[in-house]
Amino acid sequence: MRVWTSEHIFDHPWETVTKAAWRKYPNPMNPAVIGTDVIEREVKDGILHSHRLVSSKWYFPSWARKIIGSANVCYASEWSQVDPANRLMTLKTRNLTFGRFISWDEQMSYNPHPTDPDKTLLRQEAVISVQGVPLTSYIEEMLTSRVSANASKGRLAIEWVISKLDAEVKEIKHEVKEFTSHARKSTDDFIKTAKLSLDNLSAKTEGQHQ
Amino acid sequence: MNSVSEECNELKNSYDKCFNEWFSLKFLKGEKSDKMCAELFEKYQQCVKNAMKNQNISIEDVEQFQLGSEQEKKAPPKK
Repeated sequence: MRVWTSEHIFDHPWETVTKAAWRKYPNPMNPAVIGTDVIEREVKDGILHSHRLVSSKWYFPSWARKIIGSANVCYASEWSQVDPANRLMTLKTRNLTFGRFISWDEQMSYNPHPTDPDKTLLRQEAVISVQGVPLTSYIEEMLTSRVSANASKGRLAIEWVISKLDAEVKEIKHEVKEFTSHARKSTDDFIKTAKLSLDNLSAKTEGQHQ
Repeated sequence: MNSVSEECNELKNSYDKCFNEWFSLKFLKGEKSDKMCAELFEKYQQCVKNAMKNQNISIEDVEQFQLGSEQEKKAPPKK
């Protein structure tokens, strides 16, 4: 059995990080994740409970494939809770595929940083256990290093999503500014044209009266 | 992002868009009702459940201890 743990601090408030967590996939850092589906979801006592099916394409070295077999797509079940009143988001993921030999449990929690409320602390833990096949230690080692590598990519992915969301907001603000300035210019032009027409009309009317 | 089945992609994308809006603008600001996306979710959820059934993906026993049990988790059949 292998236990892997990690802590990471995001320089963003909890609300920003949790919004990004729901928009994490697809991203260029984790191309292995090919599908996420919500199986169940409800708000109970102010807490959002979700159950998702995560589909991934995992490529294992051929020596490992000879032992555990291969799968076109690997499935995992993810249960999560979001408690906005207490600013806590937790996720628990367990593999469905290869379940006969591999038990792979991951937990993640997003909390505000204990001393800086504008930062977010991410704690991750994975417990991997392989049995019933040869070379269990080697397989566990291989899977643990995958978890670690994916965790790093996952954190970069969250940052990537946050930047994208920031860029979207900036783009919208820019478009609104452009539209407002264009609308103002159009209105100014209209007023000028209307004034000219009125002046002309006035001049013509005066001419007629003379 | 794709769904477990291509047929559900469009329903998934519509629902996800609604959910992300609800999550940012309502839920995180104290709104407890999840009615805003309920209709979209129902259609999408139905599609996913059917797709999982067709692909033999079972999640009912996921909370049980799987190792060494008869509830063998196999990869779905190749299409």
